[in-house]
Amino acid sequence: MNQTLDEYAEAAIQRLLTEHPSLGEQGITLTRREHCLMLSGEVESPQRRAEIERLVNEALPDVDVRCDIGITRANPPTEHEELA
Amino acid sequence: MIRVAAVGDVHLDADVLGRYRPALEQLPGCADVLLLAGDLTRHGTVAEATCVATEFGNLAVPVIAVLGNHDHHADQPQDVTAVLEDAGITVLEGSGTVLTIDGTRLGVAGAKGFGGGFAGRCASDFGEPEMKAFVRTTCRIADRLGETLRSLDCDVLVALTHYAPIPETLAGEPLEIYPFLGSYLLGQAIDSAPTALAVHGHAHAGSERGTTPGGVRVRNVAHPVIKQAYSVFHLTGAERPTLTATGSAR
Repeated sequence: MNQTLDEYAEAAIQRLLTEHPSLGEQGITLTRREHCLMLSGEVESPQRRAEIERLVNEALPDVDVRCDIGITRANPPTEHEELA
Repeated sequence: MIRVAAVGDVHLDADVLGRYRPALEQLPGCADVLLLAGDLTRHGTVAEATCVATEFGNLAVPVIAVLGNHDHHADQPQDVTAVLEDAGITVLEGSGTVLTIDGTRLGVAGAKGFGGGFAGRCASDFGEPEMKAFVRTTCRIADRLGETLRSLDCDVLVALTHYAPIPETLAGEPLEIYPFLGSYLLGQAIDSAPTALAVHGHAHAGSERGTTPGGVRVRNVAHPVIKQAYSVFHLTGAERPTLTATGSAR
């Protein structure tokens, strides 16, 4: 594991995801694994996922960043809930 | 019976335009109204609000929205609201509206809400000015929400917020951030009226279902939680308001 991947780096990335003008993402979970940093959660478009990956890799060039971010489905519902 | 569709946290921008539209075109077949539970944009800019207006405007059912924290980020919530209202979307903040659907009056009271946390683990109106301002913001919003809920003259009453009124629908989020995700004061406001359903967003990693201490059903409709374009709830008039009221509040 790269030595730069500590708690402070994690906090900095969490803030970057929210505060960077091109992101504004508050729903991404960071998990520091033994040899990598995992990004998980969901975003609204593949472009946003790509931008997250790009900026995190740019901020942590020596860290193995793995992206497991999904795109939230936007299909119509197939059922409803009865609330009598 | 009234059919309520709801979704929050759609975070629209140009890259998402058109994604929801196929599902939205089906709304008249499955819902009488669409509620938008805040965080409609990414940064609260007019350009993003225009995307929301394009995607959620001119639908065949009425659309009622509250703003979320993202919609405030650019410090122009009035401009965002104006863009949405120009597209026919009703935007609520400490206010309400009543729709008559097949003879049944649906009342919707809406407010963004704010944080502070939940019973036994909440912030207090004490200490530094910043802390007092934080708590007083939530108190003011919750008071207004409660007043609006109690004032609506309707058959079925729904509360629409962005922040959560109960901790149960936050399950899945880190416990440490609960005070930033909602407040028991919103739940108390909801319980002060004969509310049939409370809908909120904000907690992307939260859970779908819960109830207030008073037994009101609460649904977290944040898009990443429901994982579909919107959820649909069928409400009967069983929870008929018993309070005397005079028209819609503002």
